[in-house]
Amino acid sequence: MLNIGIIGCGKIADGHADEIGKLDCARVAAVCDIEPILAQQLAARHAIPHWYTDIDRMLCEQRLDVIHIATPPQSHLALTQKVARAGCHVFLEKPLALNAADARRLIECVQKFGRKLAINYWNNFETRALDLKRFVDNGELGEPVHIESYYGYDLSDPFAQALLSDHRHWVHNLPGKLFQNVIDHAISKVVPFLPEEAPEVLARAYRRRPQVNGDNTDDVLDELRVMVLAGRVSAYLTFCSHARPTGHHLRVYGTRRTVHVDYRLRTMLVEESQTVPTSLGRLLPPFQSSWQSFQQASHNVGEFAASRFHFFAGLNRLLTLFYRCILDDTPVPISYAEILRVSEIMDDILTQVYPGVLA
Amino acid sequence: MKVLVTGAGGFLGTAVVERLLAHGYTDLRCGLRRRTAIPKLDVLRRQYPRATVEYCAGNLKYKDDAARAIDGVQLMFHLAAGLRGDPVDLFLDSIVASRNLLDVAACVKPLRIVLISSMGVYGVAGLRRRAKVTEQTGVEPHPERRDPYSRTKLRQEELFWEYQRRAGFELVVLRPGVIYGPGGGHFSDRVGLTIAGRLFHVGHRNLLPLTYVENCAEAVVVAGTHKQTAGHVYNVHDDDLPTCREYLHAYKKQVADICSIRVPYFVMRVLSRMLVKYHTYSKGQLPAILTPYRIASLWGGNHFDNSKLHSIGWKQLVPTAEGLRKSFAAFRDDLDESQTAVANRAVLRPKAQVSPSRERARQRNCRKYRTTS
Repeated sequence: MLNIGIIGCGKIADGHADEIGKLDCARVAAVCDIEPILAQQLAARHAIPHWYTDIDRMLCEQRLDVIHIATPPQSHLALTQKVARAGCHVFLEKPLALNAADARRLIECVQKFGRKLAINYWNNFETRALDLKRFVDNGELGEPVHIESYYGYDLSDPFAQALLSDHRHWVHNLPGKLFQNVIDHAISKVVPFLPEEAPEVLARAYRRRPQVNGDNTDDVLDELRVMVLAGRVSAYLTFCSHARPTGHHLRVYGTRRTVHVDYRLRTMLVEESQTVPTSLGRLLPPFQSSWQSFQQASHNVGEFAASRFHFFAGLNRLLTLFYRCILDDTPVPISYAEILRVSEIMDDILTQVYPGVLA
Repeated sequence: MKVLVTGAGGFLGTAVVERLLAHGYTDLRCGLRRRTAIPKLDVLRRQYPRATVEYCAGNLKYKDDAARAIDGVQLMFHLAAGLRGDPVDLFLDSIVASRNLLDVAACVKPLRIVLISSMGVYGVAGLRRRAKVTEQTGVEPHPERRDPYSRTKLRQEELFWEYQRRAGFELVVLRPGVIYGPGGGHFSDRVGLTIAGRLFHVGHRNLLPLTYVENCAEAVVVAGTHKQTAGHVYNVHDDDLPTCREYLHAYKKQVADICSIRVPYFVMRVLSRMLVKYHTYSKGQLPAILTPYRIASLWGGNHFDNSKLHSIGWKQLVPTAEGLRKSFAAFRDDLDESQTAVANRAVLRPKAQVSPSRERARQRNCRKYRTTS
C-alpha cells in the first residue's frame, strides 16, 4: 500500500483524491496547502487523516511514498526538488514547468534521486485513446500523415470565470497565460505520432471576446491555431474557446485509414477507403459509420454498467499504471522524452504568441 | 460613519446600498469584485448627490484587498460570498475571504459587522413536517451531509462568531430565505430541480420563504443599524408567503409556459436512496447530489417566522403580490431579450403570443395575489 501526499488543495486536488480513493494499492495519508482553510476542507471531505500548511513538516511527520503536486506550475520545479530529495516519487499536474529548460531540470532532479515521475496527461489514458494506441501499434492506421488535435474550452466554466475576473490569478503570471495551463491536453496527444526530428512550429493566437475589465485579464488570448511539421508528419492544433459545443477530439490521418477519437463522447470511429464502385460506394459509408457509432455506444453502456465510465477514468488508469510501476520497478507510463517534447513544442508556441515571455 | 458594503455590485448588494442611502447614510464604500458593476451603482450615486459613495475594487481572497476595503470603516455589511461552483470555489470566495476580512476587523475598534448568512444553515432535516423555523431552531448538526453552499454558509457564520468572541466587535447575523426580484433567479431549488431542460417540481405545498430584494435590503439595514440587535440572529422573509405550487402556477401564467413535472416528496426520497446506493456501488459514477438528508432539508416542508425581525421595526416595503408582479414582468422581459438567460433554470417556451384565455387567467392570478397581500 502506497502512502500518498497531495500538495495544493485547489480544484484539481479533488479529482486526485477521488481517484486515489478508488484504488486498492494506495491511500491519501496527508494533504498540504499554504492556505489552512483549503487544506482542512479537502481533508474533511475526503476523510484524509492529516492536513498541513508546511511541506517540510508533512514530509518529516508522514512516511509518504508518492507526492501529488497540484499547485500552480510556477512552483513545480522547487517542490519537485524538495520532495524528490525527501525520497518521494512525484505525480505532477500539467504543465510540468514554466519552460522546457525547467522541465529538463525537473526530470533530471527526479532521476538523480532515483525516483519516478508522471504527469497528468489523463486524456491519453482514456479507453478510446488506448484503443487508438493499439490500433496504431497493430499497423492498422498505416503510417501517420497528419493529425488534428482540437481542444475546446468553455470560458463560462467556473475556473475560467475565476481567472478572467481576477487580475491577480496565478494564470496571469504564467508566460503563456491560459494557453500554457491548458494546451498540454492538445499537444500531448500529437507528440507520440511525431518523428524524432525537431518540429517546425507555426502558431497564431488572438482574443475573440470583448475587452470588459480594463486590466490584464483582458490580455488573455482565447483562440489559438498551431501548425506543426516534423519530417513527413504534420499536425494541426486548435484551442478554441468560442465554438459550441465545446469539442475535444483527435483525428489521425494514416496511409491506410483515418481515425477520429472523440474524448467528449468517448468514441473512436475508423474511416476506410471505399472498395465498392459507383454510387453504391457513397451510399454505404454512412451506414458503416452508424454501425460503428452503435457499437461504440453499446460498449459505453457496458462500461457504465460495469462502473468504469467515470469522468476521470483516464486519470484512474494512469495512476494505477504509475503506482504499479513504482511497486514493480518497471518503466513509467509516460516516457520522459515525450514529456520534454511537449514542453519544447509549448515553448515554440508561446514564444510566437506572447513574444519575449520566455526570454 | 463610514459604511462598507462588500459584494455591493451583487443582486442584494446594490439594493442594500440603495436602502442605506435612503436611510440617510452618506459615507459609503462599495466593495466590488468587478468594476463592471460600477455603472449601476453610479445611477444610485446620482440619485443621492449629497452622499459620498466610493468604490473599492478587489478580491477579498487577497489579504491586502481585504485590508484596503475595511480601512477606516465603522460599520460593515458583509454580503460578498460564493454562490456557485465547486466546494473549493465556495470556500475560497466565502470562507477565505471572510477570514481575511476578519483578521483585519479584529483590530478595528469600534466596529459593527452585519453578516448576511442563509436560512440554509438551520438543521431542519430532523424536524417534523410544517415545524416552524425560528431563530431558536438549531443550526445544522451534520454540515457534511448538506449541499456545499449550505455547508459553506454555516462555516462562515461559525467563523464570524469565533472572531466575535475573540475580538469583541458587534455582530448581527441575518438569515434570508429566497431572495427574489428583477435581475434575480427565476426558481429556487426549493421549488424544484431543473434537469435536462425540465423542472421537476418537488416543493408543491411547501411554503416558499421569499424575500423581495428591496425588502431583504431593508431588513439588512434596519437590523444592521438598530442599537439593540448586536449579538442577535434574524430570519428574513416577507409576509404572505406563497407555496411553491402557487409560485410555479403564477410563473407559468405570467412569464412562460415552462415544462414542469410534479414529483411527490416520497418519490424523491425513494429516488435519492437509490441514487446514494448506486453512488456507493459505482464509486461515484453518478454524483450523490441528492441524498435523503438533503431532500429532507430542502423539501421537508417548514413554516417560517419573521416576528423577531418585525419586533425591531422592519416593515415590508413591497407587498408580496407586487413583488411577484414586478419580478415576473422583469423575467418576461429577460426572456424577450434572451431566451438563453434562463436556460440553466428551465426550458421555456416564450410567450410570443398569449391567448385571450391565458391572459384572463394571468389577470385573475394577479388579482389573487393582490387580494391576499
